Amino acid sequence: MTAVKIPTEVAGTVWKIVAAQGAALAAGDVILIMESMKMEIPIEAPRAGQLLELRVAEGDVLNEGDVVALLG
Amino acid sequence: MSWEKEVEELRARQRLAQQLGGAARVARQHAGGKLTVRERIDQLLDTDSFIEVGSIAGKAAYDDAGNLVSLTPASLVMGRGKIGGRNVVAAGDDFTIRGGTNEGSIRDKLTRVETMARDLRLPLIRMVDGSGGGGSAGTMDRDGHSKVPGYLGWDLVVANLNTVPVVGMALGSTAGLGSARVCISHYSVMVKETSQLFVAGPPVVNRLGARQFDKNELGGSQIHTRNGAIDDEADSEADAFARVRRFLSYLPPSVYELPPRTPPQDDANRNVDWLIEAIPRDDRKVYKMRPIIEALVDQGSFFEIGRHWGRGVITGLARLDGWPVAVMASDPHHYGGAWTADAARKVARFVQLAQLFHLPVVHLADIPGFLVGLDAEQSATIRHGVAALTAIQQTTVPWCAVIVRKAYGVAAAGHSNQSRYSVRYCWPSMRAGSLPLEGGIEAAYRAEIAASADPQAKIAELRERLQRLGSPLRTVEAFAYDEMIDPRDTRKLLCEFANLTAPLREAGPSSFGYFPI
Repeated sequence: MTAVKIPTEVAGTVWKIVAAQGAALAAGDVILIMESMKMEIPIEAPRAGQLLELRVAEGDVLNEGDVVALLG
Repeated sequence: MSWEKEVEELRARQRLAQQLGGAARVARQHAGGKLTVRERIDQLLDTDSFIEVGSIAGKAAYDDAGNLVSLTPASLVMGRGKIGGRNVVAAGDDFTIRGGTNEGSIRDKLTRVETMARDLRLPLIRMVDGSGGGGSAGTMDRDGHSKVPGYLGWDLVVANLNTVPVVGMALGSTAGLGSARVCISHYSVMVKETSQLFVAGPPVVNRLGARQFDKNELGGSQIHTRNGAIDDEADSEADAFARVRRFLSYLPPSVYELPPRTPPQDDANRNVDWLIEAIPRDDRKVYKMRPIIEALVDQGSFFEIGRHWGRGVITGLARLDGWPVAVMASDPHHYGGAWTADAARKVARFVQLAQLFHLPVVHLADIPGFLVGLDAEQSATIRHGVAALTAIQQTTVPWCAVIVRKAYGVAAAGHSNQSRYSVRYCWPSMRAGSLPLEGGIEAAYRAEIAASADPQAKIAELRERLQRLGSPLRTVEAFAYDEMIDPRDTRKLLCEFANLTAPLREAGPSSFGYFPI
């Protein structure tokens, strides 16, 4: 399966990393939580797969569309 | 004396027209993963319901004795048919004839089909596959002079937008006037990978700069269903036709009729028990709105429109006790449900649709305000926001608001139309105000906080006091809002709303028209 890039759909700050790099994820599993508009907005795996790469760290400030992770 | 001979000549021409642009071009169309125009019509319409108009219109060649030698059909196939047993008008470009361009068409077919839909007061489906009529450099060579741009029949296209449901389908590369014909509609859909939408395609654009695009990079569905140019993305042509059939099922044939009720398939008094815990008590936590919508409307009746753009707001058509309604709901997963410029555009477009086709509106609101910040300012959020609020203010269709959580700021004024009686409920999770406490306290009590010996303690004290006052019970005690309800009763009350207001729906043109914002 081709790896998919996971973007953040909201601009904001990476509040909490939830999944570990290399983890096997099911569709809907939370990868990380953004903080935006004072709310905790999870970024979820769109399908099952291995979390190949986490491209961001807690505290990073992101723009809408920035890629946060690579799912294999 | 019989007229058999003429009828046979008619049939012979129809057989020629059925061959479209010839076997080789049909094969190329299929190889590109696309159906031919006649296959599309078959998939769109109920079986054997198509009644063609202009079936032998085309360019015929005759020999000296007056015998037909060949017939190249017009590149637009049009006629009437049925969808779900109800009459519609459909027109499709034939890409196998000169790439679906109007140059290969009989111009009058394009305007005739628009006139037919308008005057028969029937929904119109445009299946666009090509540049569709604007002309090209070749037009000038043929005519011997240049042409000032204009579109014969644009008046009809605009009139139809205020008269009958219009669907625009991009089913191949659509550019120029072709893409305009897709977008000037009430519902538009394009197919992933095999359809594109451009002002101008790669042959024009790639000459302008260093970057070279393929057609999907420049105008694929991943662009145009995210920016709102097109409402929905379909996985295949079959999926696109299914969406169009479903979309039309909620609508009347024209503004002169009311949306039809179907026999109720679900219990109008059904309690939805899990809704008592659907909204997290922690204000910072989000929840999924789509399952709430699905649970409230008649089972399986929610048809979402525009899922991939303006995502802070979910819009779609649904049924309540069999009555078609327009549902608008916040999605806290996207900026907490804040209205971005795109979300506001989506609201304005959707509310116009509801008003035009007499659909009562249900708004499940959780609006923390307009999006704030530099990006929000740069995208003219407030300008698009007032367009949405203006559309809401001008509606006359029945309206039911349920504030499920936040209602803050100017954007939240759009939860209902406050110039007239709207049915208004809130859940116990409502938090309302001009500004959220966070940040709002610091702004409103700046002097008091600055004068305090311990500013942080002062802020905490103010917050605690205001949080107590922020209870929605106090709001409804003061009758500053109509009614708080048990979330579990919401479906029952929404069905009551649909039945209550069904007789108030009024057929006729919209009081403020439809603008393809």
